[in-house]
Amino acid sequence: MDKAEILAEINMIFNQVMDNDSIQLRFETTAADVEEWDSLTNIQFLLDVEKHFKLRFSSSEIGSFRSIGELCENIKMKIG
Amino acid sequence: MVLEFNKFLGEKNIYKIKELNMQQSLQYIVDKISAKDPLHSKKVKKNLKKLDQEYTDRANIFLGRYIEMLEQDGKTLDFAIDSYLKMIADVNHESLHFLETGEYTSKSFDEVNSRVYNNPEVMAYYMHALLLSQFLWKQHYDILIYFNKVVKDNSDQILNYMEVGGGHGLYISEAINIKGNNANYDVVDISSTSLDIAKKLIKNDSVNFILSDIYDYRPEKKYDFITMGEVMEHVEDPVSLLKQLKRLLKEKGKLFITTPTNAPAIDHIYLFRNADEIREVIKDAGFSIESEISIYTEDLPEELLEKYKISLMYGALLTKTK
Repeated sequence: MDKAEILAEINMIFNQVMDNDSIQLRFETTAADVEEWDSLTNIQFLLDVEKHFKLRFSSSEIGSFRSIGELCENIKMKIG
Repeated sequence: MVLEFNKFLGEKNIYKIKELNMQQSLQYIVDKISAKDPLHSKKVKKNLKKLDQEYTDRANIFLGRYIEMLEQDGKTLDFAIDSYLKMIADVNHESLHFLETGEYTSKSFDEVNSRVYNNPEVMAYYMHALLLSQFLWKQHYDILIYFNKVVKDNSDQILNYMEVGGGHGLYISEAINIKGNNANYDVVDISSTSLDIAKKLIKNDSVNFILSDIYDYRPEKKYDFITMGEVMEHVEDPVSLLKQLKRLLKEKGKLFITTPTNAPAIDHIYLFRNADEIREVIKDAGFSIESEISIYTEDLPEELLEKYKISLMYGALLTKTK
């Protein structure tokens, strides 16, 4: 799975968690771009990403993703 | 306002901060959190927006003392902020596990003891993180206001005061502010790191700091008032803990407790899923509730509070059941 495909899948998960179908994620998207994306919704989002891709994030990773691109990179690395 | 930018500690961008005024120290903390953890900073900013002048005044005194203590230990506010963010990362990780399994990761005191209390690497940041959270989390501040009222209302009856697990020194400082030196104050804690921090923050010779497991503590006197903030979730059997405090309390003595529901953390063992489960433990230990307070840690509609298993901070003033 390449990064663009991962982006498309996490976009669906993200929109479900944020309860907003109109959010178009880009690799550059950060917390500053999406009002609903805070520490609370982030946990729910990462939980659903873990379930969807069958992977685990470490405690240092959870708060370390500065952008959606970094998250996609991490997922790509984990699922190979 | 005195930010001494000229006093570097040998490293760039690490300021030695003296007499930092409240607005600035809070602003400094918020700016640092925003830069390092933008997601968490949204919550911190939301919390601080709701707070009033009284909060600023209290936080001013507390943070002033805290910064002084950091300086004496050769540490900076940056160290405290990094410690706090490390704890937030731990909490996030624990939260993922909690939402997935409905359980806390630690099941026994021995497990937490080796993972946290007996782990100098963790204790070095954890206590400082908890200290900052006292003023960055709105629920902690609301509980402090409730505590202040409870102590004021019962001030005449308090001659022997004890605090169990008084790490941040905040409650006992409030009690001393209200009662002055007309009482005997004891702080009992199982952790020397925690006692050491409390000693430095309270800076009051009339307070006795006692290093002991509360189950092994056998004083000759009994207490009029015992405070135990956020300890019940750290033990395997909160009923036996409350029963032990009952033995240490005078017949007409009062016990102030706080504990959260659904609050995953590296040192939390006992999971209260709702306030009723806390009330049940209180009743089983032979206490009655004189007054209580409950505060959700997030302002959300009821269905989301349930869906996200949002933590509720519970506080109560208890008396022995007749």
